Amino acid sequence: MIGAGGSPFMYLEFGDIVIYFSPYTLSLFLLALVFTVLVIASRPERQLDIAFGADAYTTKEISLPEMRFRRFMAIACGLASMGAMVTGDVFDFCLFTSLVGICNVGIVAAVRSRHVQNAAYQYGLVALAGTVPLFGGAAIVAATTGTLSLIELSKTVLPAAPAVAKGFLVLGVMGEGMAPFYAAKAEMFRAPGAPYVIMCSLSSLLIFLRVIEVVLQM
Amino acid sequence: MIIQRISRYISNFENLMPLFAAACAVLAAIAILSLPFVYAENQLYPKHIERESPLDPYDRGGPPFTQADIKVQYPENSPTAGYVTAYLTPFSWALANTTLHTGTTIVGHPGGILDEILYNTRGLDTVVETTILFIAFAIASYIFRKGSP
Repeated sequence: MIGAGGSPFMYLEFGDIVIYFSPYTLSLFLLALVFTVLVIASRPERQLDIAFGADAYTTKEISLPEMRFRRFMAIACGLASMGAMVTGDVFDFCLFTSLVGICNVGIVAAVRSRHVQNAAYQYGLVALAGTVPLFGGAAIVAATTGTLSLIELSKTVLPAAPAVAKGFLVLGVMGEGMAPFYAAKAEMFRAPGAPYVIMCSLSSLLIFLRVIEVVLQM
Repeated sequence: MIIQRISRYISNFENLMPLFAAACAVLAAIAILSLPFVYAENQLYPKHIERESPLDPYDRGGPPFTQADIKVQYPENSPTAGYVTAYLTPFSWALANTTLHTGTTIVGHPGGILDEILYNTRGLDTVVETTILFIAFAIASYIFRKGSP
């Protein structure tokens, strides 16, 4: 099998779900792994508000349980993106992607700021609605090609799946990762706690890079 | 100028949901226009719906502890596929003997029907599904308890 991301050099079998490491998926996997390790090891930032024109600044106090919860969510998000990077099954990819979406909501849901929570709520709604095109796309792929395995799909005559199914998949990933809709994310980035909030951005970037490979080989 | 107006519209996060819904609607319209899809004859997980069977949507056939004929993608990865068909607890066995609706109560009681394909060949899927549920529960319980000390 020579997929869009190079030929895989290692397979891990979980029944019908075969995880494969090609140069493309392995590099994305390593990126997610390195950032997850950084999230585990790093100390969160302390945000300062500086008032311009005056000699005044304030430090935002963040409680330890909140930081702990957000770190847990960031690590879960990292694990979910790692899974989404290497899985060789369309349905499994959709599941990992929706897990990334939920973890992204969880990272910002712990913040005690009304503004951030409003943005997170809207984002959560989009992530919720994004599952419909995501899993709908996977269902159309299964019905029209008769298989869900990316390895089998890349062996057939491309394109195997109709373009609409691919569009549904991409739209679903956009909804989960909010790839073009960074408006809400900019609001969410006001949340203090640097390495954890960046995990939202990185995971959505990773799943978007991965869905390109998925779409290209079916 | 038009880009300015678009970016001003997108920058308000209240508009995200309508925007995404519109994108979904447009794509769904394109999907409806491109119907019919040509379905593959050779499906990976074929299903025979028998309305008379009490285990209706989950009935994969075969008595317990003998290997049923299950179609999987990579048979060499699941050597035990086909052996756990329709394992029932005494309660669900009684339910299956009295009603036709055991299949619909799979989530209502523990030890219902083990779906062969779901649990034996697509095990990672079930793990990720329950992980999604647990993460959602964790977020919900954290938000619920946020105010209390």
